[in-house]
Amino acid sequence: MGNAAATPLLSCRSVSKHFGALTAVRDLSFDIAEGEVVGIGGPNGAGKTTLFEVISGLNPASAGSVLLGGQDITRLPAERICHAGVARTFQLNAGFDTMTARENVLVGAYFGRENRLAPSLRLGAAAERAADEAMALLGLSDRAEAITGSLPVIDRKLLMMASALATRPRLLLMDEPVGGLTDREVDRIIEAVRAIRGSGVTILLIEHVMRFLVQLSDRVLIMHHGEKIFEGPPRDLVNDSTVVDVYLGKGASERLRSFMDSRGAAHG
Amino acid sequence: MSPVRRDILIGLAFLIAAIALPLLVPGRYIVTQSTLLFVWAIVVVQWNLVLGVGGIFSLAQMALFAAGAYATAMLGFYWKWPMLLAIPAGGVVAIVVSLVVGLACLRLKGPYVALLTLAVAQVMYVLIVNDTDCFTTTGGCMPLFGGVRGIGQFGDIGLRALFPSKWYVAHYYVALALLAVAIAFSVVVIRGPLGLAFRALRDNPGYAMSRGISRFKYQLWIFGVSAFFTGIAGGFYAVHFRVVGPSVFSFQLLLFLIAMIVVGGLGSIWGPLLGAVLLMFADEAMKEFSDYRNIGLGLLLAVFVIAWPNGIVGWIDTLRQRRRARKAAAELSR
Repeated sequence: MGNAAATPLLSCRSVSKHFGALTAVRDLSFDIAEGEVVGIGGPNGAGKTTLFEVISGLNPASAGSVLLGGQDITRLPAERICHAGVARTFQLNAGFDTMTARENVLVGAYFGRENRLAPSLRLGAAAERAADEAMALLGLSDRAEAITGSLPVIDRKLLMMASALATRPRLLLMDEPVGGLTDREVDRIIEAVRAIRGSGVTILLIEHVMRFLVQLSDRVLIMHHGEKIFEGPPRDLVNDSTVVDVYLGKGASERLRSFMDSRGAAHG
Repeated sequence: MSPVRRDILIGLAFLIAAIALPLLVPGRYIVTQSTLLFVWAIVVVQWNLVLGVGGIFSLAQMALFAAGAYATAMLGFYWKWPMLLAIPAGGVVAIVVSLVVGLACLRLKGPYVALLTLAVAQVMYVLIVNDTDCFTTTGGCMPLFGGVRGIGQFGDIGLRALFPSKWYVAHYYVALALLAVAIAFSVVVIRGPLGLAFRALRDNPGYAMSRGISRFKYQLWIFGVSAFFTGIAGGFYAVHFRVVGPSVFSFQLLLFLIAMIVVGGLGSIWGPLLGAVLLMFADEAMKEFSDYRNIGLGLLLAVFVIAWPNGIVGWIDTLRQRRRARKAAAELSR
């Protein structure tokens, strides 16, 4: 941050996404610098997940452009965007349910790093090492041989992150990483996000759990009806009347204010 | 036991039994029927990669087999290529045909792939059968693709000359060697990155794409590589029978082969081979009732699709899982 001349890692320029007559994302622009953690909040149906679909290429933008390190990735297919360095996790617990946890991560490590013209006959030592490292970073090493479908929710969420990390991303998009978790589990995810950030990955995350969002984010974006209604440091959130009106509400914003006060400033 | 270890053991057991067979059984019939069994086994093992592993509902496998067989025969007949070169060339031609068919079909979904691939095979059949123009008149009028009668007199791999009385045993071992390579290749594909990609695509296509897997590209790969061995099997078939005719496109044969995969176990490593062995026996047993043979085949297929959709290998897997679960439960209650 700070160096205005540097190319932002991710730059969304006037991005819109229409589904027929419905506009899910409207003329949205923002930049993310290398190394930042940016949180996105907003009511249900605000277009947050659609924005992720657009950036990750599963549902390309109707208008506008998405740049990664200055390179246009708007129209690339999903797998090429992954190779370019954008990995994401999903709101629902996506996973390859019949495969072992380690195989899940191996998929990311083998297929996610580069565009392979031809598949090799074996996965190779490099992919195996990358998978093991990603699992170790997220504390999943002892789950390696478990069948993914039988894992508890917290492990499935960590596993999604591990397989995303194994693709060696520059930018990680996390869609509600702590939805449905207990407080103790949330703390474990917070640790995980800090570890991922520590390994040099820039993070963009969607979350409804505000204490999670403000604790981790350098900057927060609030969306409503597909538009950006707030962008700034977490501590300004509770002072913004629009955000309090359409999203937080009076009670929640007071609780959030006292939470942030009790922790001092919310730095990642 | 690790899965790869088990594969190697099963493979070796099969190989040893197959090597011993001609030394143990008297007469020619069983050996030549087993040679044919090996040819069909190569086809179904490779077809299984497309159908069971890749999830591509292609019915073009016998068209690829025919491409290999016809290419081998025509290279020998028109250009006098030695068969040892023409057979691998047939494999390459099968790859080219599969890529053309694949580029046209693989963007389609499920039943449409089946329809289009079957249409391609039928068009090839009709074009060959209905062509009556003489392409050459040396040795009688012959259309380019041999028409209804097919193509003959294109050469040999030399084993008939080398072992005048036991050439069929030599062909048996050639077919066995080809089958061994085809099976080894399918094991490598299923246990390797391609197999991983297709399992991922089956479990969760969107997630697989977002982890860098291109469905179209890997489907095209598995389609192409499985065509190679299928084409080679076609070339060997041509040499073995000394003739290639349009009968390789027959629907009855297609049904026979698909039944092998379904009865054995779609998508499994050893299912298609097991299915091929069993169906050859069943076919042998039904031989007496010539007209009812197809009915018997259809009935068998229907029973398996309804009662054991995962075939015999799938059924064995379920039994083993159940036993393991029971063992685990018994240990818990102790």
